[in-house]
Amino acid sequence: MPQRYDAIVIGGGHNGLVSAAYLARGGLKTVVLERRHVLGGAAVTEEVFPGFRFSVFSYVVSLLRPEIIRELDLPRHGLDILPLDGTFTPVYEGTGRTPPKDGNGNPIGTGDYLWRVNDHGRTVRELRRWSRLDAEAYEEYGPLMVDMARFIKPILGIVPPDPASIDPRPLLPLGGLLRSFQKLTERQQAVFVQLMTMSAYDFLTQWFETDPLVATMSASGIIGTYQGIKSPGTAYVLLHHYMGEIDGAFRAWGIPKGGTGGISNAIGDAARANGAEIRTEAPVATIRVAGGRASGVVLESGEELEADTVISTVDVRRTFLDLMEPGTVDPEFEAEVRRFKFRGSSGKVNLALDALPSFTALPGEGEHLRGAISISPTVDDMERAYDDAKYNRFSVKPYIDIVIPTLVDPSMAPPGKHVMSCFVQYAPYKLDPSLGTWDEQREAFGDAVVNRIAEFAPDLPSKILHRQVMTPLDIERTAGLSEGNIFQGELSLEQLFFSRPVPGWARFRTPIRDLWLGGSSTHPGGGIMGANGRIAALEVLRSKRRRP
Amino acid sequence: MSGPRPDAYWDAAIVGAGHNALVTAAYLAKAGLRTVVLERRERVGGAADTTQLAKNIRVPTLAHTVGRLRPSIQKELELRRHGLSLVAPEVRVFAPQPGGGGAVTLWANATRTAGALGADGDGYLQFDRRVRLLGRFLDELGRSTPPDIKSPGLVDALAGLRLGAAFKGLGRDGSRTILRVLPMAIADLVAESVEDDALRGVLAWRGVRFGAVGPWSAGTAAMLLLDAAGNAGGAAGETVFARGGAGALSEALAAAARAAGATIRTSAPVARITTRDGRATGVVLEDGEEIQARAVVSGADPKRTLVDLVDPVAIGPSLGWRASNIRTPGVVAKVNLALKKLPTFPAAAGDESLLRGRIVVAPGIDPMERAFDATKYGRFSDQPILEATIPSLADPSLVEGARAGTHVMSVIAQYAPYWLRDGSWDEATGGREAFGDAVVAVLESVAPGIGKLVSHRQVLTPPDLEREYGLTGGHPLHAEAGLDQFFVWRPLLGHARYRLGLERLYLCGSGAHPGGGVTGGPGQNAAREIMRDLRRRG
Repeated sequence: MPQRYDAIVIGGGHNGLVSAAYLARGGLKTVVLERRHVLGGAAVTEEVFPGFRFSVFSYVVSLLRPEIIRELDLPRHGLDILPLDGTFTPVYEGTGRTPPKDGNGNPIGTGDYLWRVNDHGRTVRELRRWSRLDAEAYEEYGPLMVDMARFIKPILGIVPPDPASIDPRPLLPLGGLLRSFQKLTERQQAVFVQLMTMSAYDFLTQWFETDPLVATMSASGIIGTYQGIKSPGTAYVLLHHYMGEIDGAFRAWGIPKGGTGGISNAIGDAARANGAEIRTEAPVATIRVAGGRASGVVLESGEELEADTVISTVDVRRTFLDLMEPGTVDPEFEAEVRRFKFRGSSGKVNLALDALPSFTALPGEGEHLRGAISISPTVDDMERAYDDAKYNRFSVKPYIDIVIPTLVDPSMAPPGKHVMSCFVQYAPYKLDPSLGTWDEQREAFGDAVVNRIAEFAPDLPSKILHRQVMTPLDIERTAGLSEGNIFQGELSLEQLFFSRPVPGWARFRTPIRDLWLGGSSTHPGGGIMGANGRIAALEVLRSKRRRP
Repeated sequence: MSGPRPDAYWDAAIVGAGHNALVTAAYLAKAGLRTVVLERRERVGGAADTTQLAKNIRVPTLAHTVGRLRPSIQKELELRRHGLSLVAPEVRVFAPQPGGGGAVTLWANATRTAGALGADGDGYLQFDRRVRLLGRFLDELGRSTPPDIKSPGLVDALAGLRLGAAFKGLGRDGSRTILRVLPMAIADLVAESVEDDALRGVLAWRGVRFGAVGPWSAGTAAMLLLDAAGNAGGAAGETVFARGGAGALSEALAAAARAAGATIRTSAPVARITTRDGRATGVVLEDGEEIQARAVVSGADPKRTLVDLVDPVAIGPSLGWRASNIRTPGVVAKVNLALKKLPTFPAAAGDESLLRGRIVVAPGIDPMERAFDATKYGRFSDQPILEATIPSLADPSLVEGARAGTHVMSVIAQYAPYWLRDGSWDEATGGREAFGDAVVAVLESVAPGIGKLVSHRQVLTPPDLEREYGLTGGHPLHAEAGLDQFFVWRPLLGHARYRLGLERLYLCGSGAHPGGGVTGGPGQNAAREIMRDLRRRG
C-alpha cells in the first residue's frame, strides 16, 4: 500500500523547500523528495576537501524575499546573512587614472583599481578619481535605480495573466501596475522602458564614461544569461539583480553563514517545523499521470508515493521530458517545452587556499578582499568573453566574480586557510566539437580561470591547495539543472512573465491537473529568491480554498 | 498695421524633403493647408535618391527598392498619375553561397520556393505563414498612432479597441506567440522553422538589415516582422523597383505634393527652428531668411531635430538629455558599381532572371554574427554581409546612352561602423576604399571576375551618409529600430505621437513610429495628427 500525501514536492532546492514549508503551514501533509544526499539543490554547502567547505554553486544572496524570511521566521531556524561590502575591480597597468597613493605620496601598488563600497560618500570620492562626471551621475543613478526596483518589485509577487485569455480578473494586478506606472515621472517611465528593452551597456553609458565602471556594473546584466553586456535585454537582468538591494532586509549582497547551504537548511528546518517530511537520496523516476491528472510519483527505487497534488520544482524540461512517459502531454505543449531555452553559460571554480592572494593594484590583505572582487577590467574584455561563448568556446579571458567567504565566515576553512569562490562567464554548455567534451576541457577551463585572476594577483597559483572546477555539464549532473543553466532557463525577454516557462502556462499550473511547477523555470525566474516556490504553494492552497 | 505678406505665413513648414516629408506635405496640402517644404540639398528625396554614377549611368544612391511603400499612399496620392512606375520581378531573393556552394532562391510564390527547399520546404511555409500573420498585426500597429499612456483619451480608447480586436484576431496561439516572438533573436526564430544554415542566414538578413545588431541580438525578430508589415512580402520580403531608381518615387511624391498646392524649395537649408513660449513658430534658413508657420514639421531625424535645430532652453535639460541619448549607431555602407557587362554568378547557371531580385550574400548565422562583431570594436567587417541589386536589368533607362551591356549594381553592405577606432574613413589606407575592396572581394566569391568589370565605384560610409543626407550617425532609419525605440517609445516615450517636445513641433520622418524604410508610414500618420491639431485650434 503506497504512502499517501496531500502534496509531493519534487526537488529539495530552496524553492522546493519554500513551497513545502508553505504547504505544510497550510495544513497539507507534505513530503519533499530530494535526489541527492544533501538539501539545497544549487544552494548547497559541501566539504569537498577536508576542512574546506564550499558554496558549490550559488554563493551570495540578496534576492531572498523578505516576506519569506518573515513568514517562515527563518532567523529562528538559523538563517544568518553576513554583509558583503563593496566591489573591487583591478584594472590593467597603465589604464588607470591618477595612481592611488599612500600617506607619503608613494604609489600603493602597480596598476590601478576601481573600488566601490556601500559607503556612498567613499564610493563617490573614488569615482571622482576616475571621472568627475561619473561621480555626479552616480549620485543621480543610485536613487533612480532604487525607484525603478521599488516600482517593479510587486511584479515578483504577481501570478502572470494569460494574455490570450478572455477572463479579465487575472489582469487586475496589471491594472494596479499601470496606475503606479502612470504615477512615475515621464523620465522615470522612459528609464523603466529602457531597463526592459536595452542592453546593460547602452543603458549604463547614458550616465557613465569610466570603462571599468561600465564593465563592472554591466556584469550583473549577464549573470546566468547567454548574452553579452551589449545584447538587448540585459538591462532587465541588471534590474533583476538590483531588486534584492532595496528590501531593507539587507541592503546589499551578503554571504549566508555556513554558505548558501545555510539558507537551504534554515528553510528545511522551517518546513519540518511546520510538519513537512523531507527525504534525501529519494530520486523521483516518474510522475504518475492517470486520466490527465497527476496522482503521485515513482522513485528510482521503485517505491510509489501517492498524492492529491504534485509540485515539481525541478526545471520544466526535466519535469515534462524526463519525469514523464513520452506522449503524456499534448504535442503542442511538449513542443513549447522543447523550445524553452536553457543554454547554461556559467561555470564555477572553488579554490582552497593556503593564504590570501595579493593583488598588484592594492597589495596585501585588506578590506578590498572582504567584498566582491570583479575581474572585469574593460568593456571590450567583457564583450570578447561573450564572443568566445557565441561560437561555443569558453572565454579565454573570462569575467569572474570572486568572493572569499572565509574573511566574513572563518568556519568555512581550517584556521588561517581560506576558500575562494569564483563565478565564471562564459562557459557555454555546448562546446565546439573541435574542443571535445567538457570532461576533456574541465581542467583547461580551470587553468584559464586561475590564469585570468593571476593577471591581477600573480601569487594566486602558489596559494592554491585544492581546486574544484564546475563546468555547465557538472552543474547539470550534480544540481540537475538542464544544460547547467543556473536560472532553470534563460532570463531572456521572451522567457519572462507570461511567457515563462510556456506562453499561456505561466500561472504555475500545467496542462496536467494537480501537477504544478514551483521552480526557477517559472515567473519570476532564478536566483535565491524563493518567490516561485512561495507563489506556487499559495496558488495550490488557494485552489484547495485553504488559508495559508 | 498691415498683415503679413501672403507668402510669408504658412500653416506648415516642413524641414527636409525626404520621402516621408513629401508624403506629409502632399496630405497636408490636399487638406488645403498652406504647406512649404524646405530641403537643404539641390533636389528632393533625401535617402530615396537617384544620382549620376558616371556619364549616362544612374544609380539608386542609397535605398534601392521601394516595395514597402504603403498601397494606400500610392492610391490616395495617385502616384502612378504623377509618374511612378513600378517593376516587381518574380524572384524576390537570390542568395548564392560563396565558393560555388549553390544558392537559395526565394520567389514571390512561397510554394514555388518551398518546392526547391527539400526537407525545409514545410518549415519555410510555416515560417511564411507566421510572418504574414504577425506582420498583419504589426501593420495594424503601424497604421495607428501610439496611444497616449499619460492621459488616455477617447480616441486612444478607440484605437486601443481596434488594436485589441486585431490582437484577438491573432487567435489564442497567435496572441501568445507574438508576445513571445517580438523580443526574440531572429536566429532563434528562424531556427524554430528551418534547418539549413544558408536558408537561415538569408531569412535572418531582414532582421538585422540597417541595424547595429547581429542575428543573435534580442529584438531582431521584431525588425523582420516590421519589414513584413503592410506588404505582401512574407518570408521572402518585397522586391520592387521604381523605374528611374528610388529618386523617381521621390519625384512622383513631390509632383503629387505640388499638384495639391504645396510649395517645395530646394537648396533651402534650415538653420534652426524658432520658438516662443514653448511653442514652435517657424524656421530660420541658413541665409537668415525667416519663415513663420502655425506648425513646424521635421522630416529630419529626432536627434538632429531636438539637439541641433531647437533651442536647448526651449525643450529643457531632461528632454535634452534623453534626446542626446537617442541611439543612432549607423553600421551600413553603400557601394555602387558601374559594370562593363553583366557579371556571371555560377550559382545562377546562366539564368539571368535570377539576378533581377535582391542578391543577398549572408552565408549562415555565424558569418553574419561575426561580421557584426567587428563593429563592437570599432572595425568594419572584412567579410561584410551584402544585399545587392542590379536595377538596370529591370530598368534599362538607368543606363540609357551608356555603352551596350553596361549595368549598375547597388550594394547595401554591413557592417561598417560610424566610428573607426583606429584611423578614419578618409584615410588612404584602411578607410573607405579598403571597405570597398572588401565588398568587391565578397562579390568575387559569388561572381568570380566581377572585379574586372567595375568601371566606376562609389563607396558611401556612415559619415558620408551623415554629411550627404543629414542622417545622424549615418543611420539609414534615423534611429536604431531596437525594442528600446519602438512604438510607444519611438523616438522617445511621451513623444511618440508625432508631437515632439514643443507645442506645434512635429516629427514625420523614419525616427517616428512605425519607423524606417521606404514606407511613407510615419509621414502619413504624422499628417493625420497634424491636421487634427490644426483643425482643432486655429
